[in-house]
Amino acid sequence: MSKKIMIYQIRINGHLDNKWADWFGNMTFSLENNGDTIITGPIVDQAALHGLLKRVRDLGMPLISVNQIQDKNTGVEI
Amino acid sequence: MPNPIITTKLHIPSVKDKEIIRTDLINKLNGGLDSKLTLISASAGFGKTTVLSHWINTCKRSVAWISLDKEHSDISHFLLYLIAAVQTIIPHIGKGLSAVLLSPQPPSSRSVLMTLINDLANTEDHLILVLDDYHLVDSSVVDDALSFLIENLPEQIHLIISTREDPVLPLARYRAGGQLNEIRTEDLRFSKSETAEFFSHEVKLSMTDEDITILEKQTEGWIAGLQLAAISIQGHEDKKSFINSFSGSNRFVLDYLVEEVLRIQASDVQDFLLRIAILDRFCGDLCDSVIQKKPGTGQRTLEILEKANLFIIPLDEKRKWFRFHHLFAELLRQRLSMSDTVDIKELHKRASVWFENKDLEIEAFKHAIAANDLDRAEILIEGKGMPLIFRGEMALVHNWLVSLSDSILEIRPTLLVLFAMVLTFLGKGSDAEKKLLRAENAPLENRDLMGQIAAIRAMLAIPQNNIKKILIQSKSALENLNPDNLAVRTITQWTLGFAYQHSGDRASAMKTFSEVIPISKSSGNIMATIAASTCLGQVQESQNQINNAEETYRNIIEEVGEPPWPSICEAYLGLARISYERNDLIKAAEYGDLSLSLALQLDNIDTPISCWILLSKLKLLSKDTIGSSALLNKAEQFVISHNLENRMKDVISVQVQSLLHQGNISGASFLIQNNELPIESVRIAIANGKYLKALDLLNRLLIDMDEKNWKKERFQLLILQVQAFYGDGQKDKTFILLDELLFLGESSGNIRIFIDEGQMMYRLLSEAISRGSSGDLLKMLVTSFQSRSLVDPLSRRELEVLELISQGFSNRDICEKLFLALDTVKGHNRKIFSKLAVNNRTMAISKARSLNILKH
Repeated sequence: MSKKIMIYQIRINGHLDNKWADWFGNMTFSLENNGDTIITGPIVDQAALHGLLKRVRDLGMPLISVNQIQDKNTGVEI
Repeated sequence: MPNPIITTKLHIPSVKDKEIIRTDLINKLNGGLDSKLTLISASAGFGKTTVLSHWINTCKRSVAWISLDKEHSDISHFLLYLIAAVQTIIPHIGKGLSAVLLSPQPPSSRSVLMTLINDLANTEDHLILVLDDYHLVDSSVVDDALSFLIENLPEQIHLIISTREDPVLPLARYRAGGQLNEIRTEDLRFSKSETAEFFSHEVKLSMTDEDITILEKQTEGWIAGLQLAAISIQGHEDKKSFINSFSGSNRFVLDYLVEEVLRIQASDVQDFLLRIAILDRFCGDLCDSVIQKKPGTGQRTLEILEKANLFIIPLDEKRKWFRFHHLFAELLRQRLSMSDTVDIKELHKRASVWFENKDLEIEAFKHAIAANDLDRAEILIEGKGMPLIFRGEMALVHNWLVSLSDSILEIRPTLLVLFAMVLTFLGKGSDAEKKLLRAENAPLENRDLMGQIAAIRAMLAIPQNNIKKILIQSKSALENLNPDNLAVRTITQWTLGFAYQHSGDRASAMKTFSEVIPISKSSGNIMATIAASTCLGQVQESQNQINNAEETYRNIIEEVGEPPWPSICEAYLGLARISYERNDLIKAAEYGDLSLSLALQLDNIDTPISCWILLSKLKLLSKDTIGSSALLNKAEQFVISHNLENRMKDVISVQVQSLLHQGNISGASFLIQNNELPIESVRIAIANGKYLKALDLLNRLLIDMDEKNWKKERFQLLILQVQAFYGDGQKDKTFILLDELLFLGESSGNIRIFIDEGQMMYRLLSEAISRGSSGDLLKMLVTSFQSRSLVDPLSRRELEVLELISQGFSNRDICEKLFLALDTVKGHNRKIFSKLAVNNRTMAISKARSLNILKH
């Protein structure tokens, strides 16, 4: 069975190094010059997205934006 | 019943003496006391809890506090804590509600909240209720309950919610209505002067104005950040270089600072912090066990941590139990999870063992789950004789079972059976049966488990009303269950008694209920005691053992104490019926009212119907016909709105009796047309003078009752038979039977069963006296008929006529006033005279005055 997975980008103020990757469920981190971190990776569904945002909230990280970077009709097939 | 409340969660966090006092915020909190709700909404680490505890320290009102966690997403848990928190201030509030909530099928949250709200509204005390960390509650059911509480909040109560995210409540409406006091991030941020004061007073570091500006800017007034920075600075020889590198870093402030803070700790303290982070709460001894250190190490380290301000928060006055600040714990756990050297599961296992040894089975179970130690979890869930599901942990156990894979469950039939039990209590019968079938696939050598399966099947058969199945399964369960499996044995004894009761085998039901009461008492299961005792009392009543039933009901009431719990409404109803039967109408009304007020606090019970029926009969006896039919209407409406058609017969039966008393035989006949009401059919036959038909019906009914050995019904039938004999002129049979009935009634204390029959019974009894019969009951009955109250109430028209007679109007005057024919008025007169047992107008007036039924 295949299901569509969405790719999300989450922008947070403050740099996080790669040791946080596990914590965020193996997302990739890119550190921006302006001090933000962009966390990119697949999110299986809305519940997973909200779970992740809750972790961000619980660490008091300032959340800047959340974007879906793939059209939902062309999501990645796995 | 053990109470699952962890009291440290009700502890108001204590204030540290050096902390800076934030006057603006305290004023804002004081100013909000006139509104219903204060909402403190800001991210982690902004000092929400600290500000609250400072304010509480200065505030004169009593405060009930709950430190919420994710388990409070279970509504029963949330309500249990809500009640327990209020009880720390006003101990008698909501008494009994906790036990009701712990019962397998608790009432709706609304009815529980309504009871609590009513109790609170009746107190003098002003109370502040704090819900700290509300963001941890993730449940729309709890959100709904909370908004219901806020809508109905009594004036004396002020609610405070502290949270990291705005709760799902109609905040905009509260704001618009001026009911909301808000403290948000901007209010909580440390200003520059507060930052300066923090460093100079609280942590006693001398800092330049420039340093303060940098730190305030870098942390944006985030208090957790400033506190971590202060600890880091204290650990650095050169604070200037720390401040410079901190301000030059782009890293997430907290990540940076926690690393700094950990780095400057001794390595054993670092290890300690990381490992202890798996615990939601800890004391020195528990730390020693988890980290495997010499006794006393943990206590000493905790003291060091507290002195170093390392985010540990005392949970009691004695400073025995602590927890980490949630934010700090979160960061420590993140670092622990990255460590390759620490066996986290092993840590959880040690914690589980420690809690088990301290008889804290619930926490032991939680750590066993976290350790993924299924064997331990399977043992702990049994809870040393009182399974966790009977300790208010149904949701916890259910969630765990749901999380287990089928392959794990397949080889653990014990867990499958437990799963089925939980599903049964949650009202998911068909899912429960599927689990049982799967459990039976595994070879079952364990007899107790087979017993449990049968016990669950018996419970599942109750809503299906399959009496035969309940009987068979209960018996098989009791044969197989371990003698010490008291929790399940108690339930099964009850299902067995229920089956006997509903199959009409009252002797067996009585025996079974009598056996289960001492067992449930000894295992401390008060809900089971109440359930079994209530059933026993009802069976005793139905066997006309009035005195025994009274004792049973009184025991229940004594067991529960003051104030009464809603769940004992049936005991008060029983006492009301008994008082009624003994003709103590004042007591009957008192008990009936009390039972009704308790019953209306519960859902899913039909007790209010019986209350209204009884109270309606009482109103009729005090000549309030309108009030009486209003109550009967309520009963009828309840039957319809709750789909309780099987109770309609009871309502109709009273309506028939009431119509017969008014002489409206055709109305009564009409009512019973579509209903099988054999006793009422007999009454109508007698009222119509068809005595032989009545006797024929009675003969058949009596044979049936004798076979079943149903005592109360048999008594009632004989009461009708004696009137039918009398009406038919069979004097010998009449008075022989009457003697038997008086004997029966005398020994068990029956009165109203005679009096309610009305005029014919009065004539019959009077004749018995004139034939030379005597006896206390007989004399008392006749006196009651003559004086206490009118058995046959006068109809409204008859009362009108009597009123005019008493004002001295002649029959002809009355005809004109009421637009009636002379014969009709004379007919009314005859009925009035007969009902008042007099034979002229003068006597009627004097009798009516003595009975106080005249307006003038």
